[in-house]
Amino acid sequence: MSAQPKPRVGLFVTCLVDAIRPQIGFAALELLEKAGCEVEVPQVQTCCGQPALNSGNDRNAALLARQTIAAFEGYDYVVLPSGSCAATMVHGYPELLADDPDWTGRARAMAAKTHEITSFLHDVLGYVPQGVRLEASATYHDSCSGLRDLGVAEQPRALLSHVEGLNMRGLPGNDVCCGFGGTFCVKYPDISNAIVTEKAEAIEGTGADILLAGDLGCLMNMAGKLHRRGARTRCFHTIEVLAGRAGGPAIGEEAS
Amino acid sequence: MTARDRILSAIRATLGPGKPANEIAVEAALLLEPVDTARPALVAPALPDAFAQKAAAIGTTIDRVSGMAGVPQAAARYLKAHGLPPRLAMQPTPELSALDWAGITPSPQIAPDEPAALGLALWGIAESGSLVIHSGPGNPILMSFLPLHHIVVLREATLLPYLEDYAARLSPQQVPRNAILITGPSGTTDIEGSYVRGAHGPGFLHVILVSGAG
Amino acid sequence: MTARFKDRVAAALADPVLKLAIDRTTGNAERKRAAAVADFPQFGAARARGQAIKDHVIAHLDHYLEMFERNATARGTQVHWAADDAEARAIVTNICLAANARRVTRSKSMLGEEIGLPHALADAGIERVETDLAEHIIQLAGEHPSHIIWPAMHRTREQVAELFKTAHQPPPAAEDPATMVQSARRVLREKFLSADVGISGANFLIADTGATCTVTNEGNAELTTTPPRIHIVTAGIEKLVPSTAHAFALLRLLVRSATGGEMTQYTTFHAGPRRTGDADGPEEMHIVLVDNGRTKMLANEFRDMLRCIRCGACMNHCVVYRQIGGHAYGGTYPGPMGSVLTPVLDGLAISRDLPNACTMNGRCAEVCPVGIPLPTLLRAWRRRSWREGLEPAPVRAGIGLWAQFARRPRLYRLATRLGLRVLRLFGRSGWISRLPLARGWTDYRDMPRPAAKSFMDQYRAEQRARK
Repeated sequence: MSAQPKPRVGLFVTCLVDAIRPQIGFAALELLEKAGCEVEVPQVQTCCGQPALNSGNDRNAALLARQTIAAFEGYDYVVLPSGSCAATMVHGYPELLADDPDWTGRARAMAAKTHEITSFLHDVLGYVPQGVRLEASATYHDSCSGLRDLGVAEQPRALLSHVEGLNMRGLPGNDVCCGFGGTFCVKYPDISNAIVTEKAEAIEGTGADILLAGDLGCLMNMAGKLHRRGARTRCFHTIEVLAGRAGGPAIGEEAS
Repeated sequence: MTARDRILSAIRATLGPGKPANEIAVEAALLLEPVDTARPALVAPALPDAFAQKAAAIGTTIDRVSGMAGVPQAAARYLKAHGLPPRLAMQPTPELSALDWAGITPSPQIAPDEPAALGLALWGIAESGSLVIHSGPGNPILMSFLPLHHIVVLREATLLPYLEDYAARLSPQQVPRNAILITGPSGTTDIEGSYVRGAHGPGFLHVILVSGAG
Repeated sequence: MTARFKDRVAAALADPVLKLAIDRTTGNAERKRAAAVADFPQFGAARARGQAIKDHVIAHLDHYLEMFERNATARGTQVHWAADDAEARAIVTNICLAANARRVTRSKSMLGEEIGLPHALADAGIERVETDLAEHIIQLAGEHPSHIIWPAMHRTREQVAELFKTAHQPPPAAEDPATMVQSARRVLREKFLSADVGISGANFLIADTGATCTVTNEGNAELTTTPPRIHIVTAGIEKLVPSTAHAFALLRLLVRSATGGEMTQYTTFHAGPRRTGDADGPEEMHIVLVDNGRTKMLANEFRDMLRCIRCGACMNHCVVYRQIGGHAYGGTYPGPMGSVLTPVLDGLAISRDLPNACTMNGRCAEVCPVGIPLPTLLRAWRRRSWREGLEPAPVRAGIGLWAQFARRPRLYRLATRLGLRVLRLFGRSGWISRLPLARGWTDYRDMPRPAAKSFMDQYRAEQRARK
């Protein structure tokens, strides 16, 4: 183990984590280091470009893709605590830059080493959480992009199975979209609300203390709805639990 | 320019010059190979058992008899069990009319609200429990659709394993005017997705599965 | 969001009975499909094959169209070509009028809906009798289909009972589906046998035999196509397959994906009019091959959509469809496949909401039996909409401004710092319950109050402290 140089990881924290919930970024940093990586956080990062990509504004999406590739392509791996931002880099960038001969190869090379964090920890590093304890029941929502674009399904569950005291409960419709959809939720708020209402009902129905997911956008949507409904479910990103940080404030809670 | 010319020239403008027909035919045939990897396995090793299991699963009832001579009795049994009069509209085919129908009055005519009709399937398909009928002088299509109870005679010797085996028996230049694969009694899920049988066609499909050469 | 779409969505969301009806049908469909796929371990291979068959036909579409025309003509079928919906309507109504047809029976065909056949027949003064149970229901209600497999799925059994009570003589004795189905069977039976023309669609056009293939469950298709003097089939040009065996390969996918069955009750092949000695069957058979935008799709980024076999699985698994139902989409085809097709058929200017009103969750593509990348195609429409300036000005300005910052990391940090300070002013104890510029969010849910310091600021401070 020690004979091999540590893999150099560029951590892309995502714009939502940067602004709304930095703890997730620090949990990622901590886990990656624990798992034996040398982690850097390039300062050039802003947003992966997904809002532009999903709005059909390819020009701006491509500009952000180039900026991000230039900042991250030197690392052995690019890791993100978000399935949808990772999917943008893995699938979106090569598609956006397919007709740009200077960039298409770089986009593909970067896509090949970009990973969502739980799948990176589990599949690439073979990481097993040790000594993490959380006496609680939790349920897990599969965020769509991670699940369908990147195959993130078993990895978070496998990692969570090593958290002592954590009692995982199945979520009916765990693979059904929560209604976030990026700009969708503000462009079509009525439809989004109808969808997230059903999701909140399903989450409350599990009776779990905690809701876990791998994308902050989805988590904000579900947590915000749960809170509006008066539910007491606490919401965390999966890696906050894995990093032993679920003792702290959940999404929407403030340190007292 | 006719619509035909407009459509074909628009297609050709996009696709460019086509390949020779024989190359396309080879390509098309290869698409179906290997055939077994993309179709379900039969549910039982013996074709009559596989057919009977699949047919029963979709609501077809089965009566297995030995030899064609047993068909009239089986039909009479069915009519009696359903409280129907001993009358049948019957497909005008020699294989059926040659049988001894003592006790049952068969008629080559079918009324719009016929209670029961009897026909002969050309083939049965074990994969899906389907019956194959072809239109022709000896087979009015309505005979299979107007009655409430449709009784079909199927000889085990005419069972085919898979849908493709039926397709292989069709000569492209000699296909029947109307070929129908019947797979279970008529049904609908149009109201709230809940299944109700007997929508417009027969509400009951009964197969007399005949073993032996007779 | 354009006003009409917004209104339709609002109406749908405000209708609890509609939601109940959608949940009942799509819930059933989802469960049955899952069971059928679980029971067919070769589904993945079958799907790859189905996709390859459709791609092969699309790549040689002219060849197969001509082959089909040749063989259908040899069987005695009269083949017509229609470049658009108006031509298709004219061909069908002219055949009916030339035959002095007074009553026409119709077996469900989405292409018939696409080309506006129901209205065209009414305009020509011809009595149209819809024979599929669901089409019968919506004909009585004066509505359009809300689903491509279950056109009347927006109606609960109670609502169907209301319709039948006034339209059926004598009215059905009870409200359960079985009694109502019996009532429709009785009422429609005499109409079948007295029609002059029967019109159906086709699920497949078999190139090497010249036959059409139609799948139904009720038996109404045979009763529609057999008794009348004339049988007319309308079909899109993408429905071709090389041979009967190819049709079977696709059929295994279609039925499982649509209803969760393995085979429909009736799989019917028609090749020409009644032959010498035939006991029954029509004297004339016509096929109308309809383009209506399909050759355009062949040439542009929507070619993959020509693979669609109209199973409806995408809508059954769509979170948006399951909230708003089919009518809110405003086109012939609803759900994800409709959101790709409607801009082709009706123009993007009036339908730009459809590709946008999607969360891009990808479940539709996951269940599509011929591997159509529906989210990719929806994104392609968004791209066009942006390029053609159809996106609303506030959206364009918002994305443009955001991109200006996102492309300048230092400026972005500064803006984030400022933004967080402002945002936090709206929050109380961890949550923001009302945010003026984000009403779409806070009207329905709370927003977590953002961090006091961004990750990047905290991280940099830590790095400096370490040194």
